[in-house]
Amino acid sequence: MSRRARRWAWAVAALVAAGAWVWLASRLWRTSVPGDLRLPDLSASNYFSHAELDRTRTFERFERIDFLLSQAALVLALLVYSVRGRALVRESAAGPIGTGLLLGMLAFGVVWLAQLPFEVAGVWWEHHYGVSKAGVVESVVDSWLSLGSVFLFVCVAIAIVMGLARPLGNRWWLAGAPVFVALGLLFTWVQPYLIPDVHRLRDPRLTAEARQLARTERLPPIPVDVEDVHKFTDLPNAEAVGLGGSRRVVLWDTLLNDGFGPRQIRTVLAHELGHHAHGHLWKQVGWSALTAFPLAFLIALATARVGGMRVPTAVPLAVLVLILLQLVTSPLTTAVTRRMEAEADWSALRATRDPTGARVLFQGFAKKALEQPDPPGWWRLIAGDHPTIMERIEMAREFQARRPRPGGPNRPGGSGGSGPR
Amino acid sequence: MAESPIRLTLHDDLVRSRLTVFFRLLLAIPHLVWISMWGTAAYLAVIVNWFATLFVAKSPDGLHRFLGAYLRYSIHVRAYLLLAANPYPAFLGQPGTYPVDLEIDPPERQNRWKVGFRAILLLPAFMLLAILSSVGGFRMGLAPVSAFLGWFAALFTGRAPRGLRDAAVYSLRYSAEFGGYMFVLTDRYPGASPTDPPIPSVAQDHPIVLSVEDDLRRSRLLVFFRFALVVPHLVWLQLWSILALLAGVANWFATLATGRSPAPLRRFLSAFLRYSIHVYAFFWLTANPFPGFVGKPGSYPVDVEIAPGERQNRWRTGFRFLLALPALLVAGALNYLLTIAGLFGWFVALFTGGMPKGLRDAGAYALRYTAQTYGYLYLLTDRYPHASPGLDAPPGPPAGLPPTPTAGVEPAPEGSPARSEPVPP
Repeated sequence: MSRRARRWAWAVAALVAAGAWVWLASRLWRTSVPGDLRLPDLSASNYFSHAELDRTRTFERFERIDFLLSQAALVLALLVYSVRGRALVRESAAGPIGTGLLLGMLAFGVVWLAQLPFEVAGVWWEHHYGVSKAGVVESVVDSWLSLGSVFLFVCVAIAIVMGLARPLGNRWWLAGAPVFVALGLLFTWVQPYLIPDVHRLRDPRLTAEARQLARTERLPPIPVDVEDVHKFTDLPNAEAVGLGGSRRVVLWDTLLNDGFGPRQIRTVLAHELGHHAHGHLWKQVGWSALTAFPLAFLIALATARVGGMRVPTAVPLAVLVLILLQLVTSPLTTAVTRRMEAEADWSALRATRDPTGARVLFQGFAKKALEQPDPPGWWRLIAGDHPTIMERIEMAREFQARRPRPGGPNRPGGSGGSGPR
Repeated sequence: MAESPIRLTLHDDLVRSRLTVFFRLLLAIPHLVWISMWGTAAYLAVIVNWFATLFVAKSPDGLHRFLGAYLRYSIHVRAYLLLAANPYPAFLGQPGTYPVDLEIDPPERQNRWKVGFRAILLLPAFMLLAILSSVGGFRMGLAPVSAFLGWFAALFTGRAPRGLRDAAVYSLRYSAEFGGYMFVLTDRYPGASPTDPPIPSVAQDHPIVLSVEDDLRRSRLLVFFRFALVVPHLVWLQLWSILALLAGVANWFATLATGRSPAPLRRFLSAFLRYSIHVYAFFWLTANPFPGFVGKPGSYPVDVEIAPGERQNRWRTGFRFLLALPALLVAGALNYLLTIAGLFGWFVALFTGGMPKGLRDAGAYALRYTAQTYGYLYLLTDRYPHASPGLDAPPGPPAGLPPTPTAGVEPAPEGSPARSEPVPP
């Protein structure tokens, strides 16, 4: 094949790949939230006192500055490390792949060090506002110890990449991306079994409600677990985890013990079951598959100039590129998760038919976690992995407005959405 | 390095009277009563000595003599209890009267800062002492484990095993240096190295030896993240150990049947043993670089050299696990030493970028014994592990000291003053 023909073939292949990417992304982007849903523009001051709004604003302003500085420190540290990190090769007796593992782990160690002052400041701030129970020293020690598991993941990832780069050269990404997706799938499946300090929900009334909600969502009975976190935090939270037979809803015990009524807990259960009902964990795996290929390709492209991923000295640059790409794509990532969370909210409203309960829940979240109800748009863009509190309240209000009246035509499912399964 | 102002001397022929070994604890009662009375006075004298040294920067002669005699006497009594010596000790702690003795230099000028903060400075050394000698409530120290095992051996054979005796002597030497520092007799910090000065060495003829080619330099970055960096290795080691266990069982059957360890199993288990020593040497800062994952020979500064396989005694093979139990006990005690050496070494290396030689050597001693123990357990050899810290000592004596006899030292006749000679003689 001539050079020109090869170029054409590559261009066509790239176009086909891009087309397939767009088509798959559009499938994953679908939501059951009605397309004609227009959220009313409500004022936060109607739902929160001025003191509460001031408090959340002050609290979050500091958190935002801290976050931005920490990201700047992260990039700076990795830039320096990508240049100077290769000198650490002399500290290894582990051969090329082992040395690559060392350089990869140390990259994340350097990241940890660079972000430590901001983490300390953040913990101090949260402690100061009573959001976290953990002290600064305790948090730093915990985070230092948790580096062990980070390093373990880093090792697995780098071992795969370098192992593939040896026989495949700079085309390792073609095999590497599917391997990472498979690992992500496996991790999503086993995650419920890795959560510490959990026990099955003991409240028979809530258990019965969860079963009823699952039936409403046309799901089989999904176990509800309670995670004991009250020693570390007062914040309320819950999550949907697992795939297939490992699916669970995990409630933090702070949600059950601290100030939330049965209607709010029911909404939380419905929200998490909504994630399962709409296959959000599968969708997450799908999105990770879609992003894995271009990410891996760009890393391979960037490191090709320094010998490719078969040489350990390319690892610091690879980590830098990975982190930069993650930062650049964070608006896309947060948009995807926001969309799924909005769908789970809508699903919960449909299942519980209790918009008032949902509104009280979201107000409670804002007050407990000091989450600013209406943060600046740029913040929502880069860090807002959930709809804002006001958007969630507005959705509950809109649902209420669409409630079926006897003989009325409007139904909350709306005319444009696909509706829950 | 300059000679320590408190030196332990050893003139022991390993011969033990079975009768006194059997009753040793009971026989020591009068000494224990006397030492507790003398100890009360000595601890009061230490306080006076501390104040005096703080003001005049030198321990007063009288107090120095009194405390030196008490320290010497306590070493005599502990050597008797730990079966590191045979004769019944005298009650006055006079120099040259016992096979395990102390030479204490006259008082010298001391740094007032080091005197003033002595109690704080003592803490790390105290923890190491607790690990070695079981003070402060710790029960599984090297000295009591050696004495416990040595008691049975001496009772049946009439001799103290050389390795166990040497291990006890190492702990006694550290106790003596610790005592001298605590009593403000010297401002020289107790040295943890088991080989500096060397305990009289036995020939290096064990089929499993540890080679240490380490320059004591440590990368601060690797030190800081050491406990996280080792996690992937520990996970890998855990996975590998499952296979090694199965291979070990297979090796046992094969060696029992043929009298030799099959080459493939031997290679696999040797690599596993080497790898585990590399990992623990890295973990506890006995070496600096990040180790490889396959236990390649010669790939790490702290390495295990394993001699080619030889015919093994089937009886020893058959009862290998039971026979290994005492060695596992000693290895357990030495594991605490390795841990403490690594923990203290971590702090020092983080600030100075180097590992103290004493702590590195203590770690290497523990690793060498561990390698020999697991080599024995996995049937890589049927030679029993040797507990002597002097096993890996350099073949030549340090400059300025006379040559070391291999087979032991001249006995000091019971009841007669022992010839005083620094270690090694």
